[in-house]
Amino acid sequence: MARMKFFCDPERCIECNGCVTACNNEHDVPEGINRRHVVTLRDGEKGEKSVSVACMHCTDAPCAAVCPVDCFYFTPDGIVLHDKNLCIGCGYCFYACPFGAPQFPEESAFGARGKMDKCTFCAGGPPADNSVEEYRNYGRNRIAEGKLPLCAETCATKALLGGDGDIVADIYRKRVMKRGGTLDMWRWQAAYNFKK
Amino acid sequence: MKTTAWLLIAFFLLIGLSACSDESRDFTWYEPGTYKGDQDPLLSKDLHQDLNDRLKKGQTDR
Repeated sequence: MARMKFFCDPERCIECNGCVTACNNEHDVPEGINRRHVVTLRDGEKGEKSVSVACMHCTDAPCAAVCPVDCFYFTPDGIVLHDKNLCIGCGYCFYACPFGAPQFPEESAFGARGKMDKCTFCAGGPPADNSVEEYRNYGRNRIAEGKLPLCAETCATKALLGGDGDIVADIYRKRVMKRGGTLDMWRWQAAYNFKK
Repeated sequence: MKTTAWLLIAFFLLIGLSACSDESRDFTWYEPGTYKGDQDPLLSKDLHQDLNDRLKKGQTDR
């Protein structure tokens, strides 16, 4: 069975933040929480690139590895979800995640952490699909409705892809071949500042 | 005789002290790394073909 994956094409992302807005609207996330964010490298300079980042639904998820209460679980499609009833808001997952995906709403004064919130690949959480409880705690369950994550579906430039990893890889492979088989951002030129 | 008396005192002291503890001895030992929460009903659904069709229809380049 294939795994659900996100991929953001930095050659196409125009930093419009449409994915962030779509996510926040769809899931009605609390103020101050962004399940998805757009990171821009070399902002304002020549060669500026942006990528949209959220939970990458890792195969060997470090958040799940460090969670002291084992609140994470995996769907057969490889979507990493968590149970807010078990989460204690310790923040270990935030330290472990290389993408800054786990978010913590402030629930009281003095910056006390609430339960962790993160991208669910629009797949909700443990409560019954699209129940009031699921929507309130985890947002809309689009996967149960036969839909893919809204961030990817709303992307105007189709930079952000989300779905079956094999198909996502296939779409991207075709794009790279159309561009002549090169990707300027991640190669030696970028890493070692080689002049062309 | 003296030793028996001391043993009896220690025995009753131990019983008395153990009565002060209200901690339950009835607990379950969980293995680490195992999810302990509710089962997600999503897991039983078979939506893969629909999702793949939607991905090919909506996200491939025109």
